[in-house]
Amino acid sequence: MDKTNKIKAGALLVSIVLAAAGGAEFYAMRGYKEAMVLGPSVVEVRKLSQYEPSLAGTANDANIYILDSSVPGGTVMILGGTHPEEPVGPIAAHILVENARLEAGRLVVVSRANRSGSLYSRNGEAYPNYFHVETEWGEKKWRLGDRAASPLDSWPDPEVYVHYPSRQMLAYMDIRNLNRAWPGRPQGLLVERTTHGLMEFIRREKVDMLIDLHEAELEYPVENTIVAHENGQEIAAMASMMLTAQEFPVPIGVEFSPKALHGLTHREVGDHSDARSLLFEVAEPMLDRIRGVTDERLLMEGKDEFVMEAGKHKLLYAPMDENGWPIEVRVGRHLSTILQCIDVFNMMIPDRPVTVAGIPRYAEVVEKKLGYLFRDPSKAPADKVAYD
Amino acid sequence: MFAHAYTILAIVVVVFLIAKMRLSTELSMLASAAAAGLYHTFAWPASGLGIFTLENSLVRHIVEGMFTYFDVCLIFISATFFMTLVKESGGVAFIVRRIVEGFRTRRAVCLLLLTLVMLIPGALTGSGATAVLTVGGLVGAVLSAMGVDDTRKTAAIFMTAAMSAAAPPINLWAMMAAAGANLPYVGFNGPLAVLSVSGALFSMFWLAGRGEGIMDENQAMKTLPSPPEGMNAFRVAAPFVFLAVLVLAGRIWPFDFPIIGLPMIFMLSSAVVLLCSPVRLKAWTVLTRTVHNLLPLVGIMIVVGALIQILALSGARGLISLEVVILPLSTLFATLFIILPISEGILQYAVAPLLGVPLIMLFNMKGMDAIVALSAMAVLWPLGDCLPPTAVVGRAAVLELGFKGRYFGDFVKVCLVPMLFVAFCCTLFLIYSKQLSFLAF
Repeated sequence: MDKTNKIKAGALLVSIVLAAAGGAEFYAMRGYKEAMVLGPSVVEVRKLSQYEPSLAGTANDANIYILDSSVPGGTVMILGGTHPEEPVGPIAAHILVENARLEAGRLVVVSRANRSGSLYSRNGEAYPNYFHVETEWGEKKWRLGDRAASPLDSWPDPEVYVHYPSRQMLAYMDIRNLNRAWPGRPQGLLVERTTHGLMEFIRREKVDMLIDLHEAELEYPVENTIVAHENGQEIAAMASMMLTAQEFPVPIGVEFSPKALHGLTHREVGDHSDARSLLFEVAEPMLDRIRGVTDERLLMEGKDEFVMEAGKHKLLYAPMDENGWPIEVRVGRHLSTILQCIDVFNMMIPDRPVTVAGIPRYAEVVEKKLGYLFRDPSKAPADKVAYD
Repeated sequence: MFAHAYTILAIVVVVFLIAKMRLSTELSMLASAAAAGLYHTFAWPASGLGIFTLENSLVRHIVEGMFTYFDVCLIFISATFFMTLVKESGGVAFIVRRIVEGFRTRRAVCLLLLTLVMLIPGALTGSGATAVLTVGGLVGAVLSAMGVDDTRKTAAIFMTAAMSAAAPPINLWAMMAAAGANLPYVGFNGPLAVLSVSGALFSMFWLAGRGEGIMDENQAMKTLPSPPEGMNAFRVAAPFVFLAVLVLAGRIWPFDFPIIGLPMIFMLSSAVVLLCSPVRLKAWTVLTRTVHNLLPLVGIMIVVGALIQILALSGARGLISLEVVILPLSTLFATLFIILPISEGILQYAVAPLLGVPLIMLFNMKGMDAIVALSAMAVLWPLGDCLPPTAVVGRAAVLELGFKGRYFGDFVKVCLVPMLFVAFCCTLFLIYSKQLSFLAF
């Protein structure tokens, strides 16, 4: 073997070793299951494939947690994990499922609305694969993931993504983005079928209000706000006023869902069902392109010198100081906003009440952190633990 | 954090420059990414990063980054395979001979059609080198027959090839930068077409427009290869029509037509070339040669993904973004037409995610039209493809056309006027992006 071939063989061997090492981490992430201890009000865990059969056996056959008071009332549905790279959604979903006590009506929770996207990391962004919350019994661990479904589960993308049914043209990769694929269609690609299944659930189960949990970079203008469909604007406006006046040091605003922008929950769920559709945003510095070192600490503590520097140049849409946007603040805001919107909903539609107890509000979460809100799955009976 | 990120950038630059003395651009870039990653792993222990772990490893970041532009690479390779087959089947020779036969007495029409022929391969593949390698030689032969001297001929081929890479629908710089900024790659066709077509036409007419109206048909035909027996307009057009039908069908009947993706569309169109070719083509040989020829460019796209991921991991990408977004707009307008081509000469497509993404963010923040502004940048970048150290398209043009003159003293010097014209138009598009937003339909 001459020198060139020796170099080539060596390079091939090194490449195989590195690919295997990287692949092992990737494989471990794809196989990791998040344990959810079923709380006192959980009466059933359904699969999304009950509403869109083609999802059976796919990565997106999500768990749907049904919390029922057995007292007649309305139904509120919470979506976490629409964009898996925004961890507050799944964390808030776990807190609700493990702790909520329903006193009237039903609460429906999906922790991993686009589970496929949580099974791989986002190329080029250097995200950590997992995030952890310290508890009294050890660490609770979630997958982080990408914004869109994995190409392993939905590939190839079209040349241009033409949204159904509006025919609006979107970027090709947005066909894997759950929040661009509503209301979905049964013959579509994986994520379109996922949103179709979720829409079927919303229509068949007569969901009164849908809340989609998100986070946004501070450079993004739709920040710390509730984006509301026309049918949810009164609820959003009232909740925003009360939260800003009584709870949040940083105000929460209201944005009206643009009628011409298709595929998003706040537009399509309201247009294609009777559910009032709301989307919550809170600031997450790790999503900013101008962030510094990308690691789990930034994700959970939300502190970053570079983002702070950008704030000094008035380039941000949310305040940023040395305290950052820690995970407790972000989760606390979403939990309070959920509870406040439900309260306003109950005021406006008193004949379909939904009463939720056992969920802490913003101040308590910020003070006590998150660990105390999670149950140890190893101590729970096997039939009281579900896996996402 | 600032000191750490500056150190990472210094390591990247120093290791790249040292490695470049012995290694290729892509291997040098990989070496700089690995060195920066290793430094970050040990200098920033708070991240909990290891070299090999099952939860948070440096190796995973390098491997994962390499797949960032996987789809773009597939499109690039399959599109180039398609165009190479068209050339091998004699289709390009047939088209060029027809142009000479039909329009030899009308120089302007002839130049117009030759510009179109130069634009198609790059527009479909996003690669100026592909344009040079598939049609550059033949178009160059016609230009010689029209009395264009070697320097201006080589410059015309380079400039039109550079503009073809910028032309829609496939503009790799815009695609890569848009993907990094969560900006849909929709609406770019208008501004890219206006800038690239006007740039290509100006270049062709400036460099080859002067001379006798009538070319020596015999001399031209003698230098052009003959298409194989049986080649006709239908055989040439069928693969392109098939390609257009597949693309348009996905847009016209999006909910009924199966989604097969651009790489498969190009591969199926390649099969039509094979079926229509009057001569039997060795598909496997052409494919392996295509991949072999594209290895340096595909290599850059793979390695740049790893480099960008390491820069993002270590905060260096954020530092670059921050330094860019706090710059005054006037400074950018006055310097981008120089900075972008020079950076392209150094880093090739890597500049799109590295500089393009923070610039898009800045333009967004300043209320500019990001699509028009990015289109302008995406037409400026390929101008740098004749600049060192890479000079991929410039070198390809010189080699393909057998140019014997001085590279900078003759070839690049003659390109300067068309380059300035393109740079001027692009700068106007940057400054008036908001007013030109109607182009982004």
